[in-house]
Amino acid sequence: MSVNRRRIYIIPTRFGIALALLLVAMLLAGLNYNSNLGLAFGFLMVSLALVAMHHCHRNLLNVGVDAIGEVDAFAGDYASFEILLRNEAGIDRCDIEIRMDSTAGRAAGGVSSAFVSVPARGYQHGTVSMPVARRGVTRLERFELRTRYPFGWFRAWTYVHSPLTAFVAPRPGGDRALPSASAARGTTAQSEVRGDEDFAGLRAYEAGVPLKHMAWKVLARGGEPAVRSYTGLAAEPEWLDWTTLHPLGPEARLSQLCRWVLKSEVAQRTYGLRVPGTEITPSRGPRHRSACLRALALYPSEPGA
Amino acid sequence: MSAASRSGALTPAAERVTFDSLLWISACLALTLLVGIATLPIWVTLTVAGVAAIRLVRAARGQDAPPRSIRLGLAALAVGLLFLQFRTFNGLNAGTALLTLIAGLKLLETRTRRDIYVITMIIYFLSLAALLEGESLWLLSYLIAVCWLTTSTLLRLTSSARNSDWRGSVRHAGRILAQALPLAVAFWLFFPRFGGPLWQMPDSGGTATSGLSDSMSPGDINKLAMSDEVAFRVRFKEGSGTPPPQERYWRGPVLHDFDGHTWRRTESAPVVAPGLRFQGPAYRYTVSLEPSQHNWIFVLDWPSRWDAERAYLTSDYMLMEPNPLSQPIDVTATSYSHVQAAQPLGPGMRRRDTHVHAGRNPRSLRLAQELRSAHPDDVDLIGAVLAMFHSEAFFYTLTPPRLAADPVDEFLFDTKRGFCGHYASAFAMLMRAAGIPARVVTGYQGGTYNRFADYWIVRQSDAHAWDEVWIEGRGWVRVDPTTAIAPERVEHGLNDMVTEGAPQFSRWQQRTPWLADLRLRLDALRLLWRERILRFDESSQERLLELLHIPDPDGQKVALVLAGCLILGLTWLTWQVRRELKFTPRDPLQRAYERLCRRLGSVRCERMPAEGPEAYAARVSLLRPDLAAPVTALCREYSTLRYGAGTGAGVAAADTNRFSAAVRRFRPRGSRGSS
Repeated sequence: MSVNRRRIYIIPTRFGIALALLLVAMLLAGLNYNSNLGLAFGFLMVSLALVAMHHCHRNLLNVGVDAIGEVDAFAGDYASFEILLRNEAGIDRCDIEIRMDSTAGRAAGGVSSAFVSVPARGYQHGTVSMPVARRGVTRLERFELRTRYPFGWFRAWTYVHSPLTAFVAPRPGGDRALPSASAARGTTAQSEVRGDEDFAGLRAYEAGVPLKHMAWKVLARGGEPAVRSYTGLAAEPEWLDWTTLHPLGPEARLSQLCRWVLKSEVAQRTYGLRVPGTEITPSRGPRHRSACLRALALYPSEPGA
Repeated sequence: MSAASRSGALTPAAERVTFDSLLWISACLALTLLVGIATLPIWVTLTVAGVAAIRLVRAARGQDAPPRSIRLGLAALAVGLLFLQFRTFNGLNAGTALLTLIAGLKLLETRTRRDIYVITMIIYFLSLAALLEGESLWLLSYLIAVCWLTTSTLLRLTSSARNSDWRGSVRHAGRILAQALPLAVAFWLFFPRFGGPLWQMPDSGGTATSGLSDSMSPGDINKLAMSDEVAFRVRFKEGSGTPPPQERYWRGPVLHDFDGHTWRRTESAPVVAPGLRFQGPAYRYTVSLEPSQHNWIFVLDWPSRWDAERAYLTSDYMLMEPNPLSQPIDVTATSYSHVQAAQPLGPGMRRRDTHVHAGRNPRSLRLAQELRSAHPDDVDLIGAVLAMFHSEAFFYTLTPPRLAADPVDEFLFDTKRGFCGHYASAFAMLMRAAGIPARVVTGYQGGTYNRFADYWIVRQSDAHAWDEVWIEGRGWVRVDPTTAIAPERVEHGLNDMVTEGAPQFSRWQQRTPWLADLRLRLDALRLLWRERILRFDESSQERLLELLHIPDPDGQKVALVLAGCLILGLTWLTWQVRRELKFTPRDPLQRAYERLCRRLGSVRCERMPAEGPEAYAARVSLLRPDLAAPVTALCREYSTLRYGAGTGAGVAAADTNRFSAAVRRFRPRGSRGSS
């Protein structure tokens, strides 16, 4: 979406108000002394302020905004949104502040903001984040773009009504060992993790593979992007199961599951997730990880918890 | 360039002032102070320079502002000193000094952007204060340039410009300033003027010091003769003639009191000038006076009417303003060269103008007695003295010998070399000693005609002194004893006659006539600036409206025109500012490709920001199979032209034109359901 001119508001900053008072004083002095040169200078300053106002307004006009509207976060941490500003104009857009004014953010002592300058016919992104305390879904209906460019006499702002949703997964916790299908074969999770070292061959690149697993040499030789695969990766799927965490309370279980998901992903395992009401078939990769984390985030919390 | 922060709208780091901004703002402040350096107390300038240096050195070392106690102490001390000096903070000079001091102290404590904003505002106001009393185009241009730099400094406070090239900031601020110019002109032309001051400000007491004073000692005027400065300019009205050279006497201070050495004007209570019968042709003209520390207005001979409301005529026919002419003023007046007194000389005036100091210049007193007994008739006596100047070896020189105790005696009997002041003084004294009321008139004589703009320039070098004697039945008659020695002096002006010690410049100028022409042209521009810009007022606005064919112009219509201009100007500004948003590539190939993308965009196949032509064509083919063939062909052609062999200069204009024509023919129609 792009910023519509009717949605841009503009007011003078405190420096702008001070300047306005100064300009009035300057014009009065010019009139009182009957000084045409003084008046000329005063009027030039008045016009300069008017032009600056137009420039300030224009700095936001038709700026394209793309936001990745859904992000994953962990309770007690921050949800970071990456917002892309596109500039199709032939002039640079300077110092646009992306502001996220959330109640949670204010409670945490401030508004998150990022200053972005977008070159002519280019794009630039900024990251804003808000603290998320509780597991669940945090949704923000709008964020703000703001600018005081060029001289700081005016502040133009607009609200971008593009919902930002943070799926707040539980804070990873618990110290249970990672369940593994090979547990029956008597190997521990730790040895399985070490199994990473056992090189098993190359497989085709797919998005989301950790960089350390990339076969850079193959790529450097001019081959297709490839990924080194390890024995650990080829292991049969493991289920991260709610029911195996029997004595723990629901939130503790969710925390443990969350840690397991993260660990499994790091270890490049194939894993599935079972929580009451949801089952996610075993897979791996960022999309799968995100699906599992969202399942954990969306698990209904106990009433009154 | 993106910076995420979680602690408030602006982090303290972003608010903190960089060395770069400090340097810029100090430079701007220094440039502003340069204008007022002559009128500011020297210690104020030094203080500001000192604190700026301290602050810059500290900033260069990465240190912050000095501690609060030092700053406060310094501020109290400086402001206290300033008050002791001026006894007031009201008025332009004291106000300017105070603001300058505040700006300097603010610079010392500058930490955040807020402080820089305060300093920029002081700079703007100081620039204005300098212009209130300034008059020149150069000053205005200079201060606008300073304001441009100051505004660039503001631009550099924004984070994106902070690390960038200063040229970019200056260029960008310049663009904005240039866009402000048309609006500023509209404001200036049509903003209502009130004519007089809204309230009276204490006079700052003019700074001009050159020119005639209200006393004359031997050697006073020849100092002026070296000065090329303009005293005033005169433009004779249409239909009014120009007086012949021997009658172009510009009347200034009339001096009565002579102590044997110096002629003085003692101020007396204003007395209504005795009536005159005007004779001969009337001259109507406007004198444009430069500022001076005195309050007399130079007019031609005997003024009968003038348009300066508060000006009055003294009993000896000087045109006076109640206050010193701290501002340049224009006075339109009517004068006559020939008058006759309507009433006899009053006894007080006669006593005053026949008084001689008995103890001084004894030889001259004796000479006067001898002449008196030889010539009982006043006119004969005058003729005899003039004949003496003519026939005896009296020389006219700018560098006369020094005269001591009895200057008239020494001049008349020993040195016989002098300047107009010596002759006027000696003549008036001889007249008085012989019982004829006489007084010395100082002023200017002649002037340079500027043929490029039809007016006269009267310079300080045209300063002159002559006498007026009372002749029963006629009244005051002008006698210029200097003309007795060398009549050319009056016919041609000073420079032609003086051979010794004439201003070097003038002699040089005579050898290079084109330079003299250039000087006259420049001076014509100066007068034009003064008449059209500096004296622009309500009546000028009304004349302007007449030019625009608006009937019966008045103040209300001027305001309406201003409103119209502002609406137009702001509309233009909106259009201008938005126009810059549109990107028009210079390269025709690029333009054609943009058009292709725009047309595809209108059928909801926008190109992604980073999508290349091939990828774009492939995606469009998927979205709109019906457009696949033409779009693929066009995009391929574009890639070939842009990136293929023989790109750059090698792309034939014909190929580009063919491509643009193909794009122009390509008009995709929107389709429903296919995407």
